This record gives sequence, C-alpha cells and structure tokens, in this order.
Amino acid sequence: MMEFTLVNFLLFMVNCVLSNNFIFSRYLGCCPFLGVSSKVETAAGMGVAVTFVMALASLITYVVYYYILVPLSLQYLNTISFILVIAALVQFVEMFLKKTVPALYSALGIYLPLITTNCAVLGVTLLNISDQYNMLWSVLNGVFGALGFLLAIVLMAGARERLESSNIPAAFKGFPISLVIAGLMSVAFLGFTGLVK
Amino acid sequence: MGKKQTMRGVFINGVLNENPVFRLVLGVCPILAATTSATNGLGMGVAATFVLLGSNIVISLLRNFIPAKVRIPAYIVVISTFVTVVQMLIQAFVPSLYDALGIFIPLIVVNCIILARAEAFAGKNSVLHSAADGLGMGLGFTLALILIGMVREIIGNGSVFGLDILGPTFQPMLIAIMAPGGFILFGLILGIVNSIVSKIAKRSAGKGVKA
Amino acid sequence: MNLRMSAGPHFVARESTQTLMLDVLIALIPTTAAGVYLFGLRAAWVLAVSVISAVLAEFVWQKLARKPVRVNDLSAAVTGLILGLNMPAEVPLWLPAIGSIIAILLVKQLFGGIGQNFMNPAMLARGIMLVSWPAQMTVYTLPMRVLGSTSVVPSPDAVSAATALIRPSAYNPYDLLVGNIPGTVGEVCKLAIIIGFLYMLFVGTISWHIPVTFVGSVALLSWILGSDPWMAILSGGVLFGAVFMATDYVTNPLLKVGHIIFGIGCGIIVVVIRKFGGYPEGVTFAILLMNTVTPLIDRWTKRRVYGTVKKHG
Repeated sequence: MMEFTLVNFLLFMVNCVLSNNFIFSRYLGCCPFLGVSSKVETAAGMGVAVTFVMALASLITYVVYYYILVPLSLQYLNTISFILVIAALVQFVEMFLKKTVPALYSALGIYLPLITTNCAVLGVTLLNISDQYNMLWSVLNGVFGALGFLLAIVLMAGARERLESSNIPAAFKGFPISLVIAGLMSVAFLGFTGLVK
Repeated sequence: MGKKQTMRGVFINGVLNENPVFRLVLGVCPILAATTSATNGLGMGVAATFVLLGSNIVISLLRNFIPAKVRIPAYIVVISTFVTVVQMLIQAFVPSLYDALGIFIPLIVVNCIILARAEAFAGKNSVLHSAADGLGMGLGFTLALILIGMVREIIGNGSVFGLDILGPTFQPMLIAIMAPGGFILFGLILGIVNSIVSKIAKRSAGKGVKA
Repeated sequence: MNLRMSAGPHFVARESTQTLMLDVLIALIPTTAAGVYLFGLRAAWVLAVSVISAVLAEFVWQKLARKPVRVNDLSAAVTGLILGLNMPAEVPLWLPAIGSIIAILLVKQLFGGIGQNFMNPAMLARGIMLVSWPAQMTVYTLPMRVLGSTSVVPSPDAVSAATALIRPSAYNPYDLLVGNIPGTVGEVCKLAIIIGFLYMLFVGTISWHIPVTFVGSVALLSWILGSDPWMAILSGGVLFGAVFMATDYVTNPLLKVGHIIFGIGCGIIVVVIRKFGGYPEGVTFAILLMNTVTPLIDRWTKRRVYGTVKKHG
C-alpha cells in the first residue's frame, strides 16, 4: 500500500487521468462516452455527476467489502452487492439533481440513470479491490478515474461539435466516426505512456 | 414488437437484424476489451451468452411476479447472480481466459445488452421466446466479437485463435491489439458493415427486408 | 496577408489551396535537399514512396467515392512529403507507404476531406507508425555525407546510431545546426528549416505565433529544469515540428491568442515527455494532444473576444 505523500498523490493523479485514462487506455466508460451529446456543457455536467457517483461508490463499496463481505467470507458476492450499491446511489443522485439543479437533470435525461450501467463506475469499485487500495486511495481512484473520464468526454464533445457539419461518408456517421475519433485521441494520449513509473 | 413471432424468427433477429454489436451498438466496453484476440472474443461471447440466456429465462419466468417499480433492481439481482456463477466457472475451468479478460467478466453485469433485453423482451414475452432471444442475441454478440477479434489478432499478431498464419516475415502492427487500435478498427468495421447493410437494403427495396 | 480559415464546411477555391500548398512545398525544398544530401539516395526513395502513396491514396478514394479528384491542390503531396521527412532514412519502404495511406484515408478523407480533419494527418500517421512498429521507426543512422568541415565521421554503410536527442552534448552546435547528426530525414538540418520558416513568413503562409511560442516554451522550460536550452531546441524534432506541423491551419486554433496557447502547450508537453515520459521525443504526441484540445481552446478564446457567453448549437 502506498503511503500518502504529496508526490505519490500527484503521480497517482497523473496516472489515473493521463497515463491510464479510463477511456483512452482502459476502455471503461465507453457507452456514455460515445453517446453523450455534442454539447460541451452537457458533457461536462455528465462528467461531474459521474465523478460524484464514482467517489461515493468507491467509498461505500470499500466499506461493504471489508466490513461486511470479508468478515462473513462472502467475497464472491462483491459483484452483486457493488452493483446494488451503485444502483441505489444513482437513484439518490437523480433525486438530488432533480431538486437542486433541474436544468442539468433534464439536460442529462436518460444518461443519468444510465450511469448505473457505466462500466467505469462498477469497474473502479472492482479495481479498488483487485489492486488492494486502502480506503483513501480507493476514493482517490474513483475521483481521478472520473476526472479522466470527464476530460475524455469533454474533448470528445469539443471534437464532435466541430465535426457536426463535416461531409463524413453516410455509413460512418454517428458511432463509427465517434469510435475512430476516440481511437485517434487515444493515440495522442499514448504520449503519456511511462509518465509514472 | 408485440406480434406473435416464431422462435426461429426471434433467434435470427438477434443474430442479424438487431445484432447487438453491429446494429444496436450496445455493450461497447467489453467489445473493445475482449477482441484483442479471436479466442478472447469467443470466451467473452460464450460467457455473456450464458448470462443472457439464464437471465432472460429467469426474468421471463418471474415477469408476472415482479412489481413494475422494482423491476430494474430485480433484473440486476438476477443478472449479477448469473454473472457471479459464470465468473466462478471461468476461474475454475479456464483460468487463462479469466486472466485475459480480467474485470470485464464481472463487468458483464453492466453490459447494456443484457439489461436492455431483459427490459425490452424478457419482461414481456414467454419463456421460450425469451430463451430464443437470449440465444440469438448471444450468438450475434459472440460472432461479432470473434470477427473483430480475428481482425485485430491477424493485424496485430499475425495469428488467428493463437495459430500463426502469416509467417515470420510478417511485421505485426502492434497498435491493433492496443486501445487505439481497438477503437479505430471497431469503428472502421462498423462503418463497413453499415455501408454493406445499406447497399443490401437498397438492392432489396421492395422485398420487405428491413435494414 | 494571412489566410484565416475556420472549421466547418468551407469551400476553398482550388487555386488558393494550391498556392498555399505550393508555398509550403517551396519552403520544404531546403529541408528536403539537405536530407537527401545527408542521408543519400535511400532518403530520396523514402520521400518518393511517401508522396506517391499519399497522392495515389487520395486519387483512388476520390475516384471510388465519385467525388471530384482534387489531387492537384497538392495537399496530399504536402502530407506525404512531411510524413516522409519524419522518418529515418533506413525505414523499410512499406512503412512510409502504409503511413501515407493511413494519413490520407483515415485521418483526412474519412472525415470529409481537405480542411475537415481535426488532427494533423502526418502527425497522427507518424504516431500510429511509431507505436505499431517501434523498432523499424527508430533505426537512426549517421549521415552518409556531411556538410562543411566537422569531426563527425559520415558512414556510407548506414551505421546505426541513437538519435542526437539522447545525448546532444556529444555533438557541437555547428553539427546540430547543419545536420551532421543522426535523426529523421527532415529534422536534422535546422538551417534548412529556418530558411523555410522565413520564406513562409515572408509570403504569409504562416504567422510567427505558434513556431515562436512553441520553440520558446521548450527552451524556457528546459532551462528551468536544468538542461541547456539551445541543445533542447537544436536536437530532436522541435524546430521541424514547430515550423511545419504545428502550423497546419486546419488543426490549430482560430485566433492569435489561441495560437499562443497552442504553442505554449506544445512546448510544455514536449519537455514533460522528454524529461519524465517513456518516449525520448515528445513532439509528435505534443502536437496531437494540442490538436485534440484545440476545439476547446477555440470555445474559450471566442468567448473572451466577444465578451458575452455564446451558446453553441
């Protein structure tokens, strides 16, 4: 387990956001990434909501795993319990947003409940366990992983805004070209390989 | 889709017309992660089919007993149970696949395909039809994964299912089995499939074949 | 007079694109000549394959897609030449061929053709090549001939050597400036690049903002982190990248203030990758990363200029 120093903190952040970006390196979170609207503001809002969910999910699932499942030798129930925690969390966030920021709530529309099926959310909670992070690094993993997702999603929205009026061949409009864009950006992000030893 | 359909029709629908990978474009994450080789694609496909089949059947059996308000959490419980079973089976019997696919095995839980079929089909149709749908979608998914996996494996490794077919003089294009290659190749294949489908649709316009 | 082009569908008269591209080609003549002189006939072959593949790829695509064939606007030729100049002279010839095809088809034509790519085709192709075939893309050799009097011993038999970027202090500034060093065909002769830069400034093809801020940031940041700033600029691909690739008007920001941000960003990323990252040279990835951020730079700087918050469709 890493001790918490400023250097480790910064390196961890760089690793999660840049070198091992959840989308560009790890394929986690692709569905909303590809389907999100091409408005940068909506993308940013989605990213912030996901950050919130991932941070809380990391925290709660950590507690559930180490304080409930492990003592009862029920580790194999982690998948089931984690996804239920996430589903409940997303419901809560939905209600919260509806009351406090209704504009964002309606802008995100169906994408908000879909955070439940966002691979990145369940993915980070499982990674926290398999990488054996303590509570602090688990939560940070959630936060920074989500920030990486936010960065990717905002970059994607920017690119798609720009390409809205391009003459892309009809067969490629929509998902195909979005995937290619993601791939090309992913090549750029390879530049960060090896940034954190 | 409320009309009476034959089981065969439902099955073929899942493989072709509404192929989850190429037409519905659901469950993208595992597609990218599991297609680094044809074998991995096959493994993921079979695992997902098992879960899909199981959850479709169980949810269809229980469809009249699950209250509408809690159906999503209920579906999730059913699906994740099957995923946990598959996880343990793979870990026990095919550990190499377990290592290759990593967390994407438990992530089958959030594979949009499974939840989408539960909601759109199994929750409303008979057990036999739901089973056909599960099998069809699963087969469609598996075939698509194998196809993309083969392409990436050939370009990136010169092999298919682990068998070297392009010989020692072939210089593999490493990016094909890396993340960027996955995105780009999937996007290109999807675009090519789209254009083939629309060409077929244009040619058979009037014969009632849906694109 | 600087030709400002905006993103989105823009119908460029063939003549003006051609003039623009012609000026870039002219600016590349000194670099090309120096590269071929230094690295021999092999380098000429690499460049030829690269250019021909690019032009052919565009021709075939436009024919198959039943679009007007526009290869004589020279943009494909320029992309091919720049890509070729970005390779070591001893690469197997199928490499520039594949690279050009990827650059033209995947990065440019698939997105709608001239003016509609959102990342620099030559840079992206180079990045893909580098990651796909790392060994083949880094076969640097000492030059076959040398310019002027120098202690560097040329090697007609293509003896492999590490790129000068690894240890620039092994070479004196004259050699670094003139190109008697290992490296890619186009990046080594800084003098030729500077001549090309001045030409393009003179005829108005590019403005000074990006090259100067790019090179300046590399120098400044390298100096702050304890390296010799001149060595930092004169070794590797900084000068070539800053003058010929970062200035691709299609993939960099609209406004001058955006250019400055772009240049500084490139410079910072180059130094970070050089100092802390896994690759010895960061120019390719720096430019690509700033390309991805460009739409956001545009949004941000546009807002500033107009003074009000604009809602984008």
